[in-house]
Amino acid sequence: MTLKLTQLDPSVRAGFAVLLRMTKKRTRLCLGILALFASAIVAHAAETVPPKPDRYFNDYAGVVSSGAAQRFNEQLAQFERENSNQIVVAVWRKMPSQSSIEDFTQRTFQAWQVGQKGRNNGVVFFVFVDDHRMRIQPGYGLEGALPDITCNEIIRDAVAPRFRANDFEGGLAAGIDLIFKAIRGEYKGSGKTVRESGSTQSNPAGLLIFFFVLVIILLAIRASRRLGGYRYTGGGGPFVSGNWGSGGGWSSGGGGFSGFSGGGGSSGGGGASGSW
Amino acid sequence: MNKGLIGCLGIGAIILFVVLVGGCAVAGSYNRLVGLQQKVDQSWAQVQNVYQRRADLIPNLVNTVQGAANFEKSTLTEVTNARASVGRVQIDPNHAPVDAAKLQEFQQAQGQLSSALSRLLVVSERYPELRATQNFQNLQAQLEGTENRISVERGNFNSAVQEFNTAVRTFPTNLFAGMFGFQPRPFFEAQAGAEKPPTVNFNFGSPAPAATAAPTP
Repeated sequence: MTLKLTQLDPSVRAGFAVLLRMTKKRTRLCLGILALFASAIVAHAAETVPPKPDRYFNDYAGVVSSGAAQRFNEQLAQFERENSNQIVVAVWRKMPSQSSIEDFTQRTFQAWQVGQKGRNNGVVFFVFVDDHRMRIQPGYGLEGALPDITCNEIIRDAVAPRFRANDFEGGLAAGIDLIFKAIRGEYKGSGKTVRESGSTQSNPAGLLIFFFVLVIILLAIRASRRLGGYRYTGGGGPFVSGNWGSGGGWSSGGGGFSGFSGGGGSSGGGGASGSW
Repeated sequence: MNKGLIGCLGIGAIILFVVLVGGCAVAGSYNRLVGLQQKVDQSWAQVQNVYQRRADLIPNLVNTVQGAANFEKSTLTEVTNARASVGRVQIDPNHAPVDAAKLQEFQQAQGQLSSALSRLLVVSERYPELRATQNFQNLQAQLEGTENRISVERGNFNSAVQEFNTAVRTFPTNLFAGMFGFQPRPFFEAQAGAEKPPTVNFNFGSPAPAATAAPTP
């Protein structure tokens, strides 16, 4: 409002003043809401979580040959088929976050939902090549089979020495193998991975609401017809936009690899970190 | 007369409908509050669980460290005392505290133990032969894991409380939340002094200041 109020007619001036006061109030409100949104966005931006991986072995740093990566991936997928334990390996160049390694891995684990729902039997093996840091983090359900001491020993005695010698393939292989050894037999598998059983949880509540609304509309139409009062005309009717579930499940093996889908597990921050 | 009767019936039906819908809404919100409260209590149990885990590690840690030749006595007694005072603050592990002061007390006792433990780890840097032992390394790994679990469970607890408090305070639930005895719950606050950056000492030659520089809450 850059208008000079003094140049205006008194009545208009009064009107403007009222308007100005109103807009002031409103802008304050708007600003408040905006600030809220902004803080939400900032808070969100600060917690960047890498997107869910679509395979078990994820070498984002390119330290392992593609043949070995393929082999590891199949091993890990087979392990889930046999034991239902989900193990995900993620190798980055640098940690894609400003916060501590434990905080980052915890958030990532929760976002990826590694492990079966109810069993929480997931493990994620994080490696940050340039930071020379790694962490093995089990879900709640594997804290017994893979306690912090074991994680620490795997890192310190088996993986770190090989990483120090720049043998990433050997280090990862040793780490994966020792995790297998520690948690094999803890749970029984179904012979299929989460993705292969195609049980992407479709949301039944959405469907239910949709039918409920449909029934009400039909009843309303019938009632209005019988009463003959106001007729329900097609135009301008309630538009029901149902949002039920997220599509069907994928079929596995599209690109020649066993795909990974999180089973809904969660972690309580157990495990150990190490460096080399 | 006939018309009047129909009118009365109509109004009665409307009132019944409103009461039914209102009752359903209240019942729904009530159930939601109960669910959220359960979640708060559950995450509180987890918090207690991980703190207990830490407390259980301490006798073993103290024994291991005591074995080291002439380990600094004052640090050890500090840990033992902090451990004892943690045991004195009793909060029902199955129900999250309603009283903010109670939680504050709990947090303070645990905070004292945290700083005593971190001082112990700092001091242990001066005993390389102790740090090299398998036992100490295992204990350290366990301690680190437990500290991380504590921060995770505290975070979970805080978000559960936040969700519950939001539900209690927002319209229309706030109209009857108090009536049914749902009160906003206290949550963990950042440790006093956590907003200040820690003082860093670069005199590696004499590690003594590290022990005294650690903040006493």
